Amino acid sequence: MAMIDAGGIRLHVQRTGPADGRTPHATVVLVHGLLTDSLASYYFTVAPAFAAAGLDVVMYDLRGHGRSERPPDGYTLDHNIDDLEALLDRLGITGPVHLVGNSYGGTIAFGHAARHPDRTASLTLIESEPATTAWAEKLGGILRRVLTELAHNEPDALAWIAANRGHNTARLAKGAARLARETTLGRDIPASRVLTEEQIRAVRCPVLGVYGGDSDLVDLVPLQEELLTDFRPVVLPGHEHSVLVEAAPAVGGHILDLIHSVGGVRAGVR
Amino acid sequence: MNPTQPVPAQPTTDTVLADITGMLRTLLAEYGEDDVVIGMSTTFNRDLELESIDLVTLAGLLEERYGRRVNLAEFLAGMEFDEIIELTVGRLVEYVVWSLKTTEAG
Repeated sequence: MAMIDAGGIRLHVQRTGPADGRTPHATVVLVHGLLTDSLASYYFTVAPAFAAAGLDVVMYDLRGHGRSERPPDGYTLDHNIDDLEALLDRLGITGPVHLVGNSYGGTIAFGHAARHPDRTASLTLIESEPATTAWAEKLGGILRRVLTELAHNEPDALAWIAANRGHNTARLAKGAARLARETTLGRDIPASRVLTEEQIRAVRCPVLGVYGGDSDLVDLVPLQEELLTDFRPVVLPGHEHSVLVEAAPAVGGHILDLIHSVGGVRAGVR
Repeated sequence: MNPTQPVPAQPTTDTVLADITGMLRTLLAEYGEDDVVIGMSTTFNRDLELESIDLVTLAGLLEERYGRRVNLAEFLAGMEFDEIIELTVGRLVEYVVWSLKTTEAG
C-alpha cells in the first residue's frame, strides 16, 4: 500500500501495469464514487484487465474514503479536483491521461478535464455527469435525506437497510454514516462551485458515458449529447446505478474500446 | 504468522491457512478485533466483517508473502459479485496453494 502526500493530504494509491514488464502505452486514472465507495470498486473489477491490456493503471481513495486521510473538513468538489491534480503531479504524470470516474468520481474527472484539456486524452463517465446547478441540488437533496435519516435514528435506519437491501449494504451504510458524522462532507458537496455551460462545452476530448438501463441518469444522455462535441453513450440494460461492479466486463470492454480508438500512443507515460 | 519465515518449498493447505490467518489477524487488529475464530469455512464478509478496501490490503500482504504469483485482484475479478460476498478463507487458501503449484511446475 502506498500513501502519497498530494499537496498536504495523504492519499492511498494503488498502481498496476502490464505483468510482463512491457512499457505501458497509456495511463488510465480511475476515480471512485461517494460515501460507500473506494478504489476497491476498480481494483477487483476492471483494473486487472486494464493492466493486462498494457495500460498503466492508477487508482486512489478520495479524501475521507477507503484508506486515505480523513480531515474534518474540505470536501467540496474543488478540493477533490485539487487532490487529483496534486496526485498526478506528485506521480510525475504530466501527459494526457484517460480519466474514468464512477458516479461522483465522474464529476471530479470531468472537473479535472475542464481545468486541464491538454492533460486529458479521454473521459469516461460511469453513471455520472458534470457539475451543474441541477446536479448540486439533486445531490444535496439525496445527501440531506440520507444524512437526516441516519442522524435521526441510525440503528433503525441500518436495520431497515439490512432487512431490505442486505447485510453488506447495511455495513457500507454504517461506514458512510461515520464519514458523514466525522466530516463536513454533507454540507460541502452541495455548496461546491459548479461549471458554466461554456466550461462544459469546452471539454472536447472523446467522452464515453456508461449508464444502467434502469437508472434515472439515462435521462441525461440527450443533454450531454447536446453539450459535448464527442459524446459516446452506452446503456447497459437491466442495471442500475452500480453498473460498474455488476457488469464490470462489459463496462471495462467499452472503456478499452474508447482508449484504443483515441490511440494510446500520444498519452503520457511515466 | 512469523513474517520472516520463508515460504515452504511445498506449501500445503495447512501452511497457507496459517499464513492467511496471520494476515487476517493483522487486518482485524486495526478494528480492535483480536479474538475472532478463523477457519476454512469463515467468510470474509459476514463472519469477519471485512470491507472490500480491506481485501485490497490483503492483496498487498499476499503479494509481499508469495510474490506476484498470487494475484488476489485477478482471482476476484473473475468472480460474480455474489460469489465475492460469499467468499470463504478456504477458497482463498485453495487458490493460493494452486497458484504456487502451477507456477512452480511452469
